[in-house]
Amino acid sequence: MSDHKDRRNRQDHQEGSYDDEPDEGLLDEGLLDEGRLEQELRQAAAILDPVPDQLLQLAVEAYALHDLDARIAELTFDSLVDAIPVRGATDPPRMLTFQAGDLTVDVEVTGDGLMGQLLPPQPARIEVLGGPRAGAALTADDLGRFTGDAPPSGPFALRLRAGGELVVTQWMRA
Amino acid sequence: MRAGTVPSAAYHDMPYPRGEIVDRAEVGALVQSAVDGDAAAWKALVEGLSPLVWSVVRAHRLSDADGHEVYQTVWFRFAQHLGRIREPGKAGSWLASTARNECLKTLRSLSRLTVTDDPRLLDRVSEESTPEQSLLDSEEAAAQSERIRRLWQEFEKLGDRCRQLLRVLIASPPPSYQEVSAALGVAVGSIGPLRQRCLRRLRARLDARGTT
Repeated sequence: MSDHKDRRNRQDHQEGSYDDEPDEGLLDEGLLDEGRLEQELRQAAAILDPVPDQLLQLAVEAYALHDLDARIAELTFDSLVDAIPVRGATDPPRMLTFQAGDLTVDVEVTGDGLMGQLLPPQPARIEVLGGPRAGAALTADDLGRFTGDAPPSGPFALRLRAGGELVVTQWMRA
Repeated sequence: MRAGTVPSAAYHDMPYPRGEIVDRAEVGALVQSAVDGDAAAWKALVEGLSPLVWSVVRAHRLSDADGHEVYQTVWFRFAQHLGRIREPGKAGSWLASTARNECLKTLRSLSRLTVTDDPRLLDRVSEESTPEQSLLDSEEAAAQSERIRRLWQEFEKLGDRCRQLLRVLIASPPPSYQEVSAALGVAVGSIGPLRQRCLRRLRARLDARGTT
């Protein structure tokens, strides 16, 4: 609060020049004023546009997603970024490819759900994570194919147990 | 706790030049402790760096729904990669650039869906500001909150570039220029001059409006 009072005082004793030539001279004053203005803006942001509480809470809970045992399958292809849009295709499925070592996870997300393929083909137990809380369970068949009948809403990751190994795909937005 | 409602005294004394406000060594140590299983360290990281992530989301003017998801994605991914981050002291930059990439991806998917590049369509400005004025009863407090509201209005009317830069700069605690650079893809060396120009522009707007 004190800085506002400071600024009022400062303006009182240099009013004319301040209003007439905000960009000229008064170098130190200018820098000071910028610092104060920035600080006031910071205060305004904290009051008018703070991090929503529920988001803060989710980020705190996200600590549970810290999993040293799992290997991360990093995103190597995202149709949103890497594919050239097809003219006329209004709502193309989202194609994602994740890779961890020699395991590849292809995922296709549509409005109807998700479909995937593990390569090399192999059975797996899969959990579709939607956040720090437990997710839906899927199974990949012997050919490595899996389907989920609800599209992930919001951020998701797949947690796979295949061939004695635990792999988690990088967190993505569907 | 909302860091930032209380202005940092050290910062206030040295408005410019500025730099490593959030203690880098401390961030690195917190990351290390979190890797080692210290949930309190993780919480401290979230509290210290959430406003930065949020500011990047807001700087890109995503809708609320998109912004919330980007924010979550960034933190989930950070938790996931926690033990694998090469430079723990730069976790802020990691978060900022991850947030930026996710924001850009979102904007790209929006423009693809709506088949338009018209930025005005993407410009779904935040809902009317809902100041917590009810908390402030006395006249002085009311005047103060009115001032803040006006300041914010003029800030929102700045050009995209300035609004974006300032929105990230005013995260609390103040981000380092490295983090701002990661958040916006702007060279570190140009942040200072841009900041100065944008704050002057804002000051001119406030003066024109007759706001003190």
